[in-house]
Amino acid sequence: MPSINIESEVTGTVWKVEARVGQVMSEDETILILESMKMEIPVTAPAGGKIVDIKVAEGDHVTEQQLLVVLES
Amino acid sequence: MSWQPELDELRKREAMAKEMGGTEKVAKHRSHGKLPIRDRIAALLDAGSFREIGTLAGKAEYENGQLKSFMAANFIYGTGRIDQRKVVVGGDDFTIRGGASDAGIRGKQIHAEQMANSLRLPMVRLVDGTGGGGSVKMLERYGYTYVPANPAWNYVVDNMSMVPVVAACMGSVAGLGAARVVTSHFSILVEPTAQLFTAGPPVVKFATGENLSKEELGGAQIHRKSGVVDVVVPSEEEAFRQIRGFLSYLPSNVYQAPPVQPCSDPADRREEKLLSAVPRNRRQPVRIRPLMAAIFDVGSVFELARYGGAVVTALARLDGHPVGVIASDPYIAGGVMTVEGSDAMTRLVDLCQTFHLPVVVLTDQPGIAVGTHAERRGTIRYAARAVAAVYQATVPTAEIIIRKCFGVGGAGMTNRHGFVQRYAWPSGDWGSLPVEGGLEAAYRSELEASDDRQALLEDIRARLEAFRSPFRTAENFGVEEIIDPRDTRPLLCDWVRDAYALLPSQLGRPSHGTRP
Repeated sequence: MPSINIESEVTGTVWKVEARVGQVMSEDETILILESMKMEIPVTAPAGGKIVDIKVAEGDHVTEQQLLVVLES
Repeated sequence: MSWQPELDELRKREAMAKEMGGTEKVAKHRSHGKLPIRDRIAALLDAGSFREIGTLAGKAEYENGQLKSFMAANFIYGTGRIDQRKVVVGGDDFTIRGGASDAGIRGKQIHAEQMANSLRLPMVRLVDGTGGGGSVKMLERYGYTYVPANPAWNYVVDNMSMVPVVAACMGSVAGLGAARVVTSHFSILVEPTAQLFTAGPPVVKFATGENLSKEELGGAQIHRKSGVVDVVVPSEEEAFRQIRGFLSYLPSNVYQAPPVQPCSDPADRREEKLLSAVPRNRRQPVRIRPLMAAIFDVGSVFELARYGGAVVTALARLDGHPVGVIASDPYIAGGVMTVEGSDAMTRLVDLCQTFHLPVVVLTDQPGIAVGTHAERRGTIRYAARAVAAVYQATVPTAEIIIRKCFGVGGAGMTNRHGFVQRYAWPSGDWGSLPVEGGLEAAYRSELEASDDRQALLEDIRARLEAFRSPFRTAENFGVEEIIDPRDTRPLLCDWVRDAYALLPSQLGRPSHGTRP
């Protein structure tokens, strides 16, 4: 089962976590929403799969390339 | 009494050259998932169009005056056609002595670049070599050392201002080979089998103490975003597709206008979805790629500089006419301009200026990146360079302000002191600073003096909100036209013909040399 590391492409904060660990996502479904530069930036599943780990919580500050979510596809 | 015997000798020698490094070495090369160089050239070019030059060059061994064995020079080149247009193509034969130049005949590399320069033909480099004169063994062979010079570099550099230069990194490429990949207008790295580095693992271990594999030092993972190449591809076939694709937008040289193709996609196509493509909520980003697909000829958007982050640069067509495109992806840091984005934009503008492609800017620019990280990197200087490229360019430019246009970054998206065919969407949102960022700073003294800071803040915000309408800007002729987004394609397809009518008088070499 290949695991996919979803990294942040921006520096910002975690605005909303929409999914839970164990949830099965379809491709392009929103897992969490970051806020950066006053924009709400959805972080979506790059492929269908189950969320194995969510490394951040709402309100956390994140930096570019920081690991956010681990997905098992 | 003819010259047939010599012709037989010629054919025999050509056959020996085509054995390359020998059956074993060629089989080993293939087993790594790599095509031998003549197969690569054949896969790239129109069928049967390759005319090799210098096949006979190499190291011969004689016995009793008879040719006993022959090792061909490990650089293969010639002319061929891509979509029926003539190009010069050259590549390294990795099956012979690892493609190092000390086994090659330097003259072939020089002749290839000189030919492209003099015949004004696009130059394609399929690089799969371990560098230039980079073997210490040569000291023993020559009995002396030398001050290094990169072979053909006068032509390599001049070709940047003369013809489209495209390069693919198709194996482990270091040093001079790496320089030949990046001194180009468009470069590609083949992920499964290629790495690119200034020097490989042994030299690096000696220099920095790092003990790394080739992949760790210069594989796709490093270079997907490093900026060293435009794009990382999953196969050699895809690399050839990218090379052909890139060249299809450009003329053969700077003295010709870009090639216009027949177009079956109607110029008056009005996409309904454009009316709601930009979210009304200012905090929600717009998906730029579907938007671009709705405007430009179907299937014609060809992205460059994939390391550009929020800055999206591409070639595309409008009614069959090639154009350059600059846009933003607000899904990445809200669309701000970073060092990488500025570099991507500078290169796109310079490419279009060199080859006379009109430029379309889809403006959604919140501004240049801010914050400590951005400052440490000197971001505004790189952004200023991109803006300078824009102001120095003379190619016809059109701008569609689709959403944000703020600050020095927004101001610098087009030459606002020259003529730009400009249209704004009703979702346009512009100013020196967005109200959200600028309020607290501009009204600081009033806010500090107030009893109810929050209430005053809301009051000011509501007041200024009313002034933000694009219609007020239009009343003051701050923007010439506000349009129905669905009219974007028809308007641009009309404009592009005006733009192309200007090109003949602009053709020729760029006023400043083009750099990688």
